[in-house]
Amino acid sequence: MKRILSFLTALGVILLIWELAHRAFGLSGLPAPLDALSAMPDLLREPETVIDVLQSLRRMFIGYAIAAIGGITLGLLMGTSRLASQMLNPLIMMIYPIPKAALMPILMIWLGVGDMSKILIIILGASLPIIYHAWQGGKSVKSTVVWSAAAMGMKRPARLFRIVLPAALPEIFIGLRTGLILALITMVVSEIVARSNGIGNLLFNAMDMALYDRMFAAIIIIAAMGCALDWVFEAIRKRFLRWSDTSDHIEVSAG
Amino acid sequence: MIAIEHLSKRFRTAGGKQHLALDDVNLDVQHGEFVSIIGPSGCGKSTLLYIVGGFVPASDGAIRINGKPVRGPGPDRGPVFQEFALFAWKTVIENVAYGLRLQGKSKAEANERAIGLLRMVGLERFANFYPKELSGGMKQRVAIARTLAYNPEILLMDEPFGALDAHVRTHLQRDLLNIWEEHRKTVLFVTHSVEEAVYLSDRVIVMAAGPGRIVKDIRIELDRPRQRAELMFNRRFQEYVTDIEGMIDAFEASAA
Repeated sequence: MKRILSFLTALGVILLIWELAHRAFGLSGLPAPLDALSAMPDLLREPETVIDVLQSLRRMFIGYAIAAIGGITLGLLMGTSRLASQMLNPLIMMIYPIPKAALMPILMIWLGVGDMSKILIIILGASLPIIYHAWQGGKSVKSTVVWSAAAMGMKRPARLFRIVLPAALPEIFIGLRTGLILALITMVVSEIVARSNGIGNLLFNAMDMALYDRMFAAIIIIAAMGCALDWVFEAIRKRFLRWSDTSDHIEVSAG
Repeated sequence: MIAIEHLSKRFRTAGGKQHLALDDVNLDVQHGEFVSIIGPSGCGKSTLLYIVGGFVPASDGAIRINGKPVRGPGPDRGPVFQEFALFAWKTVIENVAYGLRLQGKSKAEANERAIGLLRMVGLERFANFYPKELSGGMKQRVAIARTLAYNPEILLMDEPFGALDAHVRTHLQRDLLNIWEEHRKTVLFVTHSVEEAVYLSDRVIVMAAGPGRIVKDIRIELDRPRQRAELMFNRRFQEYVTDIEGMIDAFEASAA
């Protein structure tokens, strides 16, 4: 209840500042919030918009899923094997500071403006925090926990996925959350750079045609997508980590 | 049963130097014997236990279990660690049943045995709790039940009660002795506490540091079953404790 209230307050403040800015500057590029919001239903009623949003989400999820599976596997390998971390760490440190969207032109030349280049850039954009946190999580798993499973007769590859993975899950979810938002960002950027379809393309088409109400409506849709994704993600995370200290629970104690 | 022959362990320190953690350790443990290993920090007593468990490889020498050399961890040797090492993402009963499920037992069969063990350690009511909801003493009871579940011949206990407060500790010592009286498993028990070692064991192995080695092997000739309250007034018990404490002090002083 309190969280909803503070959310609504924040939203109200943003709309108020927006309205005041609109009145103060009187720019055609800054429509009143009400105009932008009233452009929303029109925009959403067009089947192309829905297709654009779905196209965007599809690409984002393919990229994110590959980044998640690959990143977690790579990170856990690095966390449990010195050799893997010594080999991969320099590579990751080199890729880390590069803005992945800057690689977009190369990928467009090689792979065109279709799905391939965009999905690839989303994978690159989302995977680093996922790898990093899976690595840290894998490293922090106590060897005694792994040994306990080994003593029961569990072999090494099984230990990685049945013991190290679940034990590292709280840390892995931190990386997955950052990765999700990065996937959204790279997805929008990739559609703005390589324009064929998708919500990013819709946004820039509106700008090109000076349909500013529509442009702001598209921005609101993107923002809402981000909020909704994060909200769904948090719900899933809480469900998965019921056993962990990171989600609240009552503590029972007796001798 | 357990034969440790000319066992050595060298580590490479951060500075690149060789550190001799264990130097020519020889030890024979009989079937059903309760043996404690005691010594100052850095004497390699936990390392010795990890090598017997097959978790850490030896540098030299060999360990044989019933004549067969140790080449890795196996369900014949069940560890219990100081920090419990439970599977935090599994409920209490899933933890205890885990080893049985790995050995291909049906869920019903594994759960039935798990519940029986939980009853034995007094945690039946907590079967569906997660480890984080339990106190330290309860967690260690779960860990003991989890290890007993797959019925190892040997228990390897690494300071299992070291992280618990004194009251819980005496309870668990008593419970462990009761379980041991009933099942007579071979136990290797690493501890810091001389009193605990004498109270529980048939033999106390005293180790010294720099390099880690065995300096004394003392047979504890006290009648079983033992009651802690009675032992506190037993002269023989007190003599054992004072003697061993003196030995450890002497070796620490000579090392310093």
